[in-house]
Amino acid sequence: MNIPILSIITFLPAAGSLLFIFINRKQKNLIRYTALFIGIINFILSLFLFFQFSGQTGDPQFVEKAEWMGYGIQYHIGIDGISLLLVLLTTFLMPIVILSSWNSIQEKVKEYHIFMLLLVTGILGVFVSLNLFLFYVFWEAMLIPMYFLIGIWGGKRKIYATLKFVIFTMFGSLLMLVAIFALYSIFYKTAGSYSFNLFDYYQLVLNPNIQIWLFLAFGLAFAIKVPMFPFHTWLPDAHVEAPTAGSVILAGVLLKMGTYGFLRFALPLFPDAAKKFIPYLAALSLIGIIYGALMALIQKDVKSLVAYSSVSHMGLIMLAVFALNLESLEGAVYQMLNHGLSTGALFLCVGILYERAHTRLIKDYGGVSRQMPVFAAFFLICMLSSVGLPGLNGFVGEVLCLFGIFQSSKLLAILGVSTIILGAAYLLWMYQRVMQGPLENKKIMTFKDLNKREIGFLVPIIILMFFMGIFPRPFLRKMDASVHKLLNQIHRSETYFVDKETAIIIPESASGIESDSQIKEKGIESENNE
Amino acid sequence: MNNIWTLLPIVFVLTGSLLVLLLEVFIQRETKDYLGFVSLMFLVLSGAACVTFWNKGYSYFNGDLFLDKLALFLSLLFIIGTALIILISMKYLSLQNTNYGEYYSLLLFALIGTLIMVSSTDLIIIFLGLEVLSMSSYALAGLKRNDEKSGEAALKYFLLGSFASAFLIYGIAFLYGTSKSTEIFSIIDHFQAVSSQSILVIAGFGLLIIGFGFKIAVVPFHMWTPDVYQGSPTPITAFFSVLPKAAGFAVLLRLFGPYFGQITQSQNIFMVLWFLSVLTMVAGNLLALRQKNIKRLLAYSSIAHAGYLMIAVLAKSHYSLVFYLTVYLFMNIGAFSAVIALSKKDKEYLQLKDYAGIGFRYPWIGATLSIFLLSLAGFPPTGGFLAKFYVFSEAVSQDLVPLVVIGVLASLISVFYYLRVIVYMYMREPSTPFEIDTNNAPLVLVLFICLYGVIQLGIYPGNVLLFIKQAVASLPF
Repeated sequence: MNIPILSIITFLPAAGSLLFIFINRKQKNLIRYTALFIGIINFILSLFLFFQFSGQTGDPQFVEKAEWMGYGIQYHIGIDGISLLLVLLTTFLMPIVILSSWNSIQEKVKEYHIFMLLLVTGILGVFVSLNLFLFYVFWEAMLIPMYFLIGIWGGKRKIYATLKFVIFTMFGSLLMLVAIFALYSIFYKTAGSYSFNLFDYYQLVLNPNIQIWLFLAFGLAFAIKVPMFPFHTWLPDAHVEAPTAGSVILAGVLLKMGTYGFLRFALPLFPDAAKKFIPYLAALSLIGIIYGALMALIQKDVKSLVAYSSVSHMGLIMLAVFALNLESLEGAVYQMLNHGLSTGALFLCVGILYERAHTRLIKDYGGVSRQMPVFAAFFLICMLSSVGLPGLNGFVGEVLCLFGIFQSSKLLAILGVSTIILGAAYLLWMYQRVMQGPLENKKIMTFKDLNKREIGFLVPIIILMFFMGIFPRPFLRKMDASVHKLLNQIHRSETYFVDKETAIIIPESASGIESDSQIKEKGIESENNE
Repeated sequence: MNNIWTLLPIVFVLTGSLLVLLLEVFIQRETKDYLGFVSLMFLVLSGAACVTFWNKGYSYFNGDLFLDKLALFLSLLFIIGTALIILISMKYLSLQNTNYGEYYSLLLFALIGTLIMVSSTDLIIIFLGLEVLSMSSYALAGLKRNDEKSGEAALKYFLLGSFASAFLIYGIAFLYGTSKSTEIFSIIDHFQAVSSQSILVIAGFGLLIIGFGFKIAVVPFHMWTPDVYQGSPTPITAFFSVLPKAAGFAVLLRLFGPYFGQITQSQNIFMVLWFLSVLTMVAGNLLALRQKNIKRLLAYSSIAHAGYLMIAVLAKSHYSLVFYLTVYLFMNIGAFSAVIALSKKDKEYLQLKDYAGIGFRYPWIGATLSIFLLSLAGFPPTGGFLAKFYVFSEAVSQDLVPLVVIGVLASLISVFYYLRVIVYMYMREPSTPFEIDTNNAPLVLVLFICLYGVIQLGIYPGNVLLFIKQAVASLPF
């Protein structure tokens, strides 16, 4: 294909943000419509990706490769089944968040949309990059617009929250940068040529002792982003202080960059070290599940409740990732999408409430459903999707995850199920306190139900929730081959004997993917699990 | 071998400088801007000479002064830097009532000093250049005659600078005493032949490091920096933060490049530089955290950058050092230009709290200053990122991993204070609204050039990197 469709999708938002320079800042609606238009165009383009994408192969598709700065720094992008779905999630959420901030953002509208569009480009870039240099550029560049979004349009403690977010994330990613340099240098010493190409690095078999350090550096960067248990403290602050749209993007896509990083980089690049650390990481994920859920139970603020629920849900996803089998990985990827949808939707609902009451404290609410019946229905569905009710998307993902975890460790699976139980507890209790009960606060009497715009951005999410809950097949089939390939890559180290000081290169043919029939077999297996 | 054309770039600048001094007598105080244009004209001539000499390899004085590709590249860089400084000075000088004709003349003399420093490997010639640079610098620092701070800056700079020069010449004497030469390569050859290191050698190199450490402001020889930077006229601060530092590093490159390359027992000097680098990065960044004055903040930031540059010296990676200097020139002059933009008649806004709300009041100044600060902090896709990227990546490939880890963590600290300026500009409510003089075309031009430089070097350094690699490839080590 000659049209560089993937580049267009990635850079369209950033290019669009240049358009705003020519728009007068007083024409707020024109700015909003332009941003929305760009968002919708981008989503339509990425739908084209989805339908053109072949699930038969795990190799990256829509690949674009060009020399950039030499010495291994190439412009190299492409998507496989995993990144395809995450790209789609990002472009799907983009018009929604723009719609959601239609009324709530009244000041500095122009700058807001510029940063929002730049942010989307940064995130898409992370998901499509196949060159580690390019990946790192996007990974870091994405921080800047997010920093401004929280810092300018955030709540009371916005400056604290935004600096904490940036410093935490950079701490991890700078160490990761050192690890990337180390990989670069090792590759040069063994292969004699310069490369930042991910697939070149996949072929390196590294000394396990070196792997440990590199894995720790990469793992730390991603663990902070996910966030895993001891590194999660930036998340509630950032979520609570961010504007609604910022929270949606943060929960919906940004956190996925961490899990994606584990899947794409940390695990396949350093499989031996990964296997050494997996017990500890799984333990941390489990702690994250339970700790996040317990913290969510005691929150007084709706938004930080949803934020802690994110910690808990991301814990389950990480646990599934570390189980390292087909079901668990597919479940993890599927659950990443679900979490993006349902937590994003919950933040949107909280935002809708906040716009009316200007408070986020649970005790200020109560009986809202009488005043806003339509909203109550939407909120209920979003909440149940997050809980994992059968028929909605969350169920499929959670069952796949738990099924996979069960295969590798029964104990972990049994403990991991607590995410569903506790999740039901804190979310239902929150719903009860906010939406039902006596209508005590007089301010709520003045609430208006959802307007057309709000219905407009909630309906697509709800539809997708049902669709993904009832027909998971089209999504799962897109990623089968990619997940297989990933698993082969991770388990490859067992088949090679490593004794060299630094590293040796193995031929490319050795790390091929499984045949189609095998994929189909496993695919049927995973369908049965649903 | 001997070719008088070698002197041409210096002669052009010298002519300009003297002509400015002469014309100054006949020109009214209000119209001294014209002297800036005269200086610029001669800078263009000198720059053109540098460009045309690219492949010639001229030298003069029996090779004591030469124009190899590195010298030409750096000379051109310094000429561009000085031209930018002159452009931002024009309006500033009349606003701050310091429009003396000597200003441009002294600036050009300082430039001559740096040009000499980068075009020689003879320590005496280098010392000569350094002194020309220093003498002009002392005078420039004190040019705001009615300002106590400026006088303090000049005096401090002069006293400490003289000490440093003494150390330097003492070190050269030691090296001459043992090797009978002041030429870097002869010195190195001598030590290679003798292959034993007497205490004199260590002392000689140690004293040299102290002398140059002062010029490039590495901790613990940095004490003068914040006060001098704060007191000097702001364009001069921009000049100090870039040119003497870059020239000093060019000399270190010429000195330690062959030294680390050929002398096997260079380990102790290497360790000294290693510790200096760590100290500079950590202390510079930590001290910057507490600053409330933007000029002092940028002063400490420039100290910290000296630490990163030192990593490049230790990694023996010449191209990454030169690339870093190139990017550093644009981003630092850019940042100072934005600071200068926030001034009006007899008043500069230099406290961080003055910056509250600037981002929305003056969106263009806010945006450009933000980009320069993000570049200084090393965020992609700016030049600052790529500069750090090359330095750190080269250092890792030389197995200097602990140093790089300290370096990236130090730059994490720096993110905090650079972002704090942006916090003030965009996230704090404006305190007392003030008006600034926005009618300043040359300054806008400089902001634009620096912005272009920072972004171009960050996204596609292409040819610049190619020239830098050619330049360092021409070095004999």
